Amino acid sequence: MMDGNKLNELRELVEFLKANEIAEFDMEQADLKVRIKFAGEPAATGGIDLAHLSRLMASVPASAPAAAAPPVAASALAAPIEEALHEVKSPIVGTFYESPSPGAQSFVKIGDQVEVGQVLCIVEAMKLMNEIESDVAGEVVKRIAVSGQPVEYGQPLFAIRAR
Amino acid sequence: MFRKVLIANRGEIALRVISACKEMGIRTVAVYSEADRNSLHVKFADEAICIGPPRSAESYLNVPAVISAAEIADVDAIHPGYGLLSENANFAEVCRASNIKFIGPPPEVTRMMGEKSTARQTMKKAKVPILPGSDGVIESEGEALEWARSVGYPVILKAVAGGGGRGMRICRNAEELPALFNQASTEAANAFGNGDLYMEKFIERPRHIEFQVLADEHGNVMSLGERECSIQRRHQKLIEEAPSLMVTPKLREELGKTIKKSLENIGYWNAGTIEFLMDEDGKIYFIEMNTRIQVEHCVTEMVTGIDLVKAQLRIAAGEKLSAIVPEPVVIRGHAIECRINAEHPETFTPSAGKITAFNVPGGNGVRVDTAQYAEGVVPPYYDSMIAKLICHGKDREEAMNKMQRALSQFVVQGIHTTIPMHQKIFADEEFRLGKFDTKFMERFFERQKNSKG
Repeated sequence: MMDGNKLNELRELVEFLKANEIAEFDMEQADLKVRIKFAGEPAATGGIDLAHLSRLMASVPASAPAAAAPPVAASALAAPIEEALHEVKSPIVGTFYESPSPGAQSFVKIGDQVEVGQVLCIVEAMKLMNEIESDVAGEVVKRIAVSGQPVEYGQPLFAIRAR
Repeated sequence: MFRKVLIANRGEIALRVISACKEMGIRTVAVYSEADRNSLHVKFADEAICIGPPRSAESYLNVPAVISAAEIADVDAIHPGYGLLSENANFAEVCRASNIKFIGPPPEVTRMMGEKSTARQTMKKAKVPILPGSDGVIESEGEALEWARSVGYPVILKAVAGGGGRGMRICRNAEELPALFNQASTEAANAFGNGDLYMEKFIERPRHIEFQVLADEHGNVMSLGERECSIQRRHQKLIEEAPSLMVTPKLREELGKTIKKSLENIGYWNAGTIEFLMDEDGKIYFIEMNTRIQVEHCVTEMVTGIDLVKAQLRIAAGEKLSAIVPEPVVIRGHAIECRINAEHPETFTPSAGKITAFNVPGGNGVRVDTAQYAEGVVPPYYDSMIAKLICHGKDREEAMNKMQRALSQFVVQGIHTTIPMHQKIFADEEFRLGKFDTKFMERFFERQKNSKG
């Protein structure tokens, strides 16, 4: 029987698939294996953010940081990070959001160059939207946390290739 | 009953609460600092959330972090344990505002009873005997002298906002009072940001006697009997027992009734402890109330058979006392608890580090509450208590014998512990005879020093 957290992730996945008009979808878990078939031309209002999809896929097996698995599970699940990459970690507990408001553009995209102090995301705690700033300058290589998902103190949010 | 509870604490009490929840089918959420990543309370909770770096102020005492964790985990209630945020009225208020049930009294009551001079006034109004003293804050040296004259020397000056021995001065005559008054006030201002003082009669050789209470949210209050906690070092309890050798059934019953009325008046909820000092003549005086579950709650559990943590959960979930506690409460046998600290047994220097061997004693009537284990780490950031060893016997003699046996089998290696100190205490004639007061440890150390050299 699936526990509450996994069920929520599955729901999010289904919403994502519906929103992007994906007609067929397979998935295996260990070592990941995805097969997707689109219903037709992608909707005019915006193509599928495949980068977001791959992150979503990568996150599902691990489930939320609040799960019973050992606390480092959330970061252990992601593909191993290259040595040269700097992880920006959450300084607070809360819910991670990649954009300033629902539907708005993300603060940063993969490939963006960011400066020290530049806002990368929001972590909401107790109804307060806390802007999380980058502590290095460099290129955003990976968004590790999943928008709308809880993050704990010290949890990796982004991987940045420092200049 | 609650579906999910977050435990805003660490160490043995966090594990104690998690265990009670598990037995009741309640899902548990642990919070932890980075230093506690491999702690038992983290391993045994259903969910665990890291809330900050090692320092308590940035983790366990960090209200936004704890509340944020409670929100993302979607809990119904928070159990604060003891210490940390358990008597923080602001925290209880934030819980209420966030629609999370705080397992304890309402914030207003915590605030009222946490403030020492207000607590004294409240108890005095309810006819609970209080230590003679000033009716409130003493504004000047002149007032201090007046009060001391009416109360009678010796007196003690205490910080209104404080504890742990700071902002305290004992005064034995009028000549030394003005200077001591100023010293105490300055020390209090530095330690607590508030230099206000009050005065109490000082008892030279008091015994520390406290009463456990439970109150439901429907106005019912019960006393579960007393504990004696006179064996202290620098105002920190080392050994506690129930019942007290000095409390007669008549005193227990009378005081129980008075306490019950006083707490019904103020609308107290959940668990609490009322602390008294007993003077050399056996007269008992209220000193303060702790509005939370205490470290030594175990000895009361052993003699009454009542699970106090489960009672807390059930009370907070709205159950009535009559369903939780049998009436009347029956005290059976005698229980003693030793607090085992990660400290050198003679110098009391804190001993953080990795535990390499950990053998916990067992057997009939022997209970160990601990969150440590072999290969476990004692971090330097928190309280040094690593285990509680509780023994229950048909009488004090049997409880003491069990304790000696259990202490001899409690093996901890890799760090220092106070186990050897406890072994010496249980071999001490005065302790075995029950002849002690809060100055016992000072005399004990003297005896130890003299027997060596």
